[in-house]
Amino acid sequence: MAQILRGTTAGLLFHELRLSWRAVLARSGGGVRGLVIICLVIMVFTGVAGVPLGFFLRNYQLPISRLTIILSDLGLLAVASLMVSQTLSSATENLYQRGDLDLLFTAPIPPRKTLAARFMALAVTVFLTFALMVSPLLIPVAIISHPSWLAFYLVLASTALGAAAMGLALSTFLFRLIGARRTRAVAQFLAAIIGASFFLVSQVNTFFGRSQSQGIWAQAKALALDESFKLPPGADIPLRAMMGQPLVLLGYTLGAIILFFGVSSWLGDRFAADATMASGADTANAPIKAQAARWDTSAFQATFRKELRLLWRDAALVSNVLLRTLYLIPLAYLVIRSARGDTGLVLAAAAGGLVFMSGQVAGTLAWITISAEEAHDLLAGSPTRQGVFRRAKLAAAYLPMVIFLAPLLAYLVWVAPVAGCFALGGCIASAITCGLINIWYQKPSKRKDFRRRKGSSWFATLAEASVAALLGMGTTFATLGNPWAILPALLAIGLMVLLRRSDAQIALALED
Amino acid sequence: MVDALVVADLNKSFKTPAVQGLDLVVRTGELYALLGPNGAGKTTTLRMVAGLLAPDSGSISVFGIDVLKSPLEAKKVIAWAPDEPMLYERLTPLEYLEFVAGLWNVPPALAATRAEDLLQTLGLWEDRNRRCEGFSRGMQQKAALAGALIHDPKLLILDEPLTGLDAAVARQVKDLLQARVAAGATVILTTHILEVAERMADRIGIIQAGKLLAEGTLDELRARTAGQGGTLEDIFLELTGDQGALRA
Repeated sequence: MAQILRGTTAGLLFHELRLSWRAVLARSGGGVRGLVIICLVIMVFTGVAGVPLGFFLRNYQLPISRLTIILSDLGLLAVASLMVSQTLSSATENLYQRGDLDLLFTAPIPPRKTLAARFMALAVTVFLTFALMVSPLLIPVAIISHPSWLAFYLVLASTALGAAAMGLALSTFLFRLIGARRTRAVAQFLAAIIGASFFLVSQVNTFFGRSQSQGIWAQAKALALDESFKLPPGADIPLRAMMGQPLVLLGYTLGAIILFFGVSSWLGDRFAADATMASGADTANAPIKAQAARWDTSAFQATFRKELRLLWRDAALVSNVLLRTLYLIPLAYLVIRSARGDTGLVLAAAAGGLVFMSGQVAGTLAWITISAEEAHDLLAGSPTRQGVFRRAKLAAAYLPMVIFLAPLLAYLVWVAPVAGCFALGGCIASAITCGLINIWYQKPSKRKDFRRRKGSSWFATLAEASVAALLGMGTTFATLGNPWAILPALLAIGLMVLLRRSDAQIALALED
Repeated sequence: MVDALVVADLNKSFKTPAVQGLDLVVRTGELYALLGPNGAGKTTTLRMVAGLLAPDSGSISVFGIDVLKSPLEAKKVIAWAPDEPMLYERLTPLEYLEFVAGLWNVPPALAATRAEDLLQTLGLWEDRNRRCEGFSRGMQQKAALAGALIHDPKLLILDEPLTGLDAAVARQVKDLLQARVAAGATVILTTHILEVAERMADRIGIIQAGKLLAEGTLDELRARTAGQGGTLEDIFLELTGDQGALRA
């Protein structure tokens, strides 16, 4: 295949997609096992939710009204924003971690063509991600009741193409406006903020309570239905395209294709030049503010400080950390609200949720500090016990969580001592156990490979989630005064005993 | 005087044997070059000496300390510098040295003095507050070398220390290594640049398929081979049997 298409845009696209596919395989544990699990989950979800929804909507005809137009526009805007955040982030990564771009740029192929293929592959990847999410609902609904709704896939693909064009344009614009070094940081923060804002909006019920949030939605609905608020011309295009109206769908798709090829041919060469400049910009890094060196440190302090410095200086990791910590906000808010009231069940559930999320956040941060190690041999070759490094790295991983959770747990212990003590114990246990799993199943790799949890084994991730869930469940039962709390706690302990690896076993696994 | 390194009947296999019954002695205060074709087992051997890899069998002793029984004691006197610099790109050279000094528990005053000396000697003092991510390969190699020397190791193990360095930086590194040897330290290095071994090494070991083929000074090696008066390259090719491949 690659032989037939070599040198053409299609050939380059094939190359890019093959690389993306192999990255997906690598992320799923290096084989098809992970993908089979994902497929099974999708099939179950299709059967449980998609098929009933298909029958439920069998006699329903979606009206093209003011409300549905606004809802579809807002929905598509949300999807497009998330897509742009992904493509922008990938575009800037392309500028800095160019991988094979140097090879491709030295080949006798116009850079414009190379970049068009790369961004098209990016659009395909983004499209597939979202298509995978909607398929369990959309496919049964289309088969059972509304075949024309399959047009949504084309809308999604066109939106992904448009998002890739936006990502390319925005990264080029940012590069020109604020320079090479700041572009990456801004793009990464922007991507994190977009992701986090959608998460926080989705938690409006948690923040405002059911009755108040219903009031907010009612106000938003009333505003949408207010006739004095004029819809812009063409506002109904996305909805009509999604419903499969041929001409509108064709127009939407053609528009996206024209936008994509227009932007990539207009900015392709400039992006290539920027990529070359970005490479030079890295060697011209400005000196950082000189600090007095601290030579009087122990191995623990030196490692702890090193980890914090490295975390802080990596914009992608900082945004990752912030994003993870943000997930705790709705739960924290729920805990505060319910602790003041007398909603025992809600408080117990929130405390359990907090314990679960603490484990998840701690696990992610511990994964970064423990496995994102650029000089593993330096540590292994030093006359310091590995336990010192592990403790220092875990301490650095836990610090952002402690800063966030300590005031909340202190408040909880003060207001609702029983729930507070169980939540405190649960959070500590959850953080420690998830940290230990990351020590036992560490996979040292270069920090720049840690944009996401790449390389993390499915097994370790699943084990982390299971232990944290068991501890969360135990906390909930314990807060309710239910003696069955002991059962999930014992199961968590048993699981940890099964998962445990000795130093020798860890060393052996690292050798492999 | 106790030998710097004594390796006896060392074995290590991955899927295939990498090191097979290796015996090696490096005397204190010498610069020893370990040569061999790609995949000969040089790096595996040195990683075992540095305590980074456990051997399947055999013994390793560094200045009389059993590396397998007392790894932490042995590591106190060893420095390991692989061909790929062990650096943190987002740390400055000064911060990197501060970190490494902490790992080896170097007394604060001594660490500060040594860091300044090393960075001055290696021409990195002006760049001490710049992050290593923007450094050239040579600068990164020098920063890593400074890290290896901050605790004043008695045994310095370098795997391909001159790979990718320009002539000026290579000269700086060679001068520094010779100065260390003159000061009493022991240096073991691997290199594919045979001229470097020929000029710098007190003794040379040639390894192939995990076994030591020959060892000695250049003259001793010449005497062992048929082609009298040849260069190290001739000796190396004759011993490793690569001449045919070279001619082809």
